Order: sequence, then structure tokens, then C-alpha cells
Amino acid sequence: MNPTQPAPAQPTADTVLADVAGMLRTVLAEYGDDDVVIGMSTTFNRDLELESIDLVTLAGLLEERYGQRVNLAEFLAGMEFDEIIELTVGRLVEYVVWSLKTTQAG
Amino acid sequence: MAMVDAGGIRLHVQRTGPVAGRGTIVLVHGLLTDSLASYYFTVAPAFAAAGLDVVMYDLRGHGRSERPPHGYTLDHNLADLEALLGRLAVTGPVHLVGNSYGGTIAFGYAARHPGRVASLSLIESEPATAAWATKLGGILRRVTAELAHNEPDAIAWITAHRGHNTARLAKGAARLARETTLGRDIPASRVLTEAQISAVRCPVLGVYGGDSDLADLVPVQRRLLPDFRAVVLPGHEHSVLVEAPGTVGGHILDLVAGVAPAEAGVR
Repeated sequence: MNPTQPAPAQPTADTVLADVAGMLRTVLAEYGDDDVVIGMSTTFNRDLELESIDLVTLAGLLEERYGQRVNLAEFLAGMEFDEIIELTVGRLVEYVVWSLKTTQAG
Repeated sequence: MAMVDAGGIRLHVQRTGPVAGRGTIVLVHGLLTDSLASYYFTVAPAFAAAGLDVVMYDLRGHGRSERPPHGYTLDHNLADLEALLGRLAVTGPVHLVGNSYGGTIAFGYAARHPGRVASLSLIESEPATAAWATKLGGILRRVTAELAHNEPDAIAWITAHRGHNTARLAKGAARLARETTLGRDIPASRVLTEAQISAVRCPVLGVYGGDSDLADLVPVQRRLLPDFRAVVLPGHEHSVLVEAPGTVGGHILDLVAGVAPAEAGVR
């Protein structure tokens, strides 16, 4: 487990994208893929070729970083199978920013 | 990610929901292209929200679990499940859910340990019988022949006809078939007699896709099992768990809610 820095108080799409891209590089490193370009429009399935078990690893990394406020399983459980196949990094980033704001306000 | 040493093999385990909740539910996935992710992103969040202690794990050779080159009979899978629950200190009767081959494992566990299982949910699944072993042997021989020996052509065909996602899953399955004795071991598994099947007395739920061959087994299970109910979901085939998780999960929660708390190991 890597030591984690505390999440910034006011996460923005840019900071969350940087975090998520770092997590994805960790997951992809297991396949020997480094040097992957990750942006908001990158898709998990077609561009990154992630399998569903890789998303379980990503869910763990998100929880480590942001706590239980960010629950990838619940986010994806609300989606149709086709939506998950088309999922982009940007959509996940929006969800993370929204979750952190919502829980802060609550 | 938690790796748990289950009697000499390292298994990837995910646990969610309250540990001292309304009983433990253990979710067992299927063969080759499957992993605990099929539960993690479908029914597991609802089970945890219902107050259940949810245990998911990757079978040996699958997902993030260790992949030994051999040791893939049903008995190996049963020994892994026994060791895992021992290691997790899950002692009371559990609710067991199995998808496809995972249900065959779940049923085998209930046949071996009737006192440790509160309920069984079998999704597109059946107990291990001689007919089951013959059928699986045929499927595994086909996978091995078409994928492991002629992989580029087979993958190209799957990509064209079934899409990119299925093709990637097939590649993973081909690797598993190539690197291990799974294809030979599963059909050589010890199977159950009708008397051993009928001795499973806990409530059993069978969930089937209406367009799947397995739905034909409903009368057989009804004849053999003392407490059996079936749900057939029209318009679905073998992947009913990931295609209709809300409906499948709802039926499982209904079954679990109907089991008396004492039988489910709730103190």
C-alpha cells in the first residue's frame, strides 16, 4: 500500500483527474503498460482495456484516497451494462467531485 | 485489496457491509471469464445496504487470486472455500450464492456441510452430476481447441461478432486454459449422487434465464430438493446476473429474509 496524501479540501476536476490518472497508471502497471495518456475523454474499456476486476482495484484506490464517500461500486451499480462499457475517465471525475461536494455540504 | 492465505493458496477477497450484521452472505463466481467483479458492481452494494456481511472472492486461477498450474477440480474449489471461511472466522451458517460454476461449488459446500448453510441461491447453475461433468467437459474442450490452439482467428471472430469487451474476456479465458490444467480437471471432478443432492434441506432458490438450457433443469431440481423455488427471467440467457442484477438481487434478498435468524447464524 502506498502512503496517501490527504485529499485537498476543495477538490477540483483538475486535481481529481490527476489523482485518478495516477491510480489508473498503478492499475495499468500490472500489465506493463506505462506511458499511457489519460484525459477526460479516455474510455476505461476501449482505450485503457481495463477488465472489470481492474475496476475493483480502482475502487479500492479511490476509497483509500477519498474515504467511503466515493463508492465506485454504488456508482456503477446504478448504470446499465452499455453505459459501463462506454464509461469515460471524465464521468468518473465528475462523480468524485460531486460526491466530495455533496458530503461536505451534508 | 485483501489477499487471504486459504490453506496454501492466496485468494483475493473483498468484504463489504457490516460484519456483525444480519448474517453473512458469500458470493461465488463462475468459470474462465468471471471474477468477483460480477458481484462487486451488481448485487453486492444492495446486499450490504440490506445489512448483510458480504464476502466475495476470486476463485483460484481467476481475477486477482493466485494461479497454480494445476489443482482445478471441484474438490479443490471446495477446500479453498472451507479454508477461506475458516480464515475469515465465519463460523455461523451462511447464505451462499453461486453464479454458473460458482453455484456448483456452493451446492457442493452445502452437501458437505449442511449445518453451515442457511440458504442457497443458484444463478444459472446446477449441482455436480455425471451429466454436468460431461457437458462441462464438452464446453471446455471447445474453448481449449478454438482459443488455446487457434487464438488469433478465434479472437478476431469474437471481436467482429461479439465486440471488443467479449474478445478481451475470451483472451483472458484462453490464457487460463493454456496455463493450467483447469480444462482437464473440472470434468474429472467427483460428482454427487441423487441421494446426496436430496440431502440438501436448506431453502434453495434457482434463478434462470428464460432462453437458457439450464431452465430445463427446474423440474429435476424440484423433484430432488425438499425446499426449492425457481425464478425464470424471460429474455435472458446465461448472463442473467449482470444483465438483470436488480431483479436477481431482489429474489435473493427475499429468500434470505425468509430464513429464520437462528438458522442464519445471527446471535
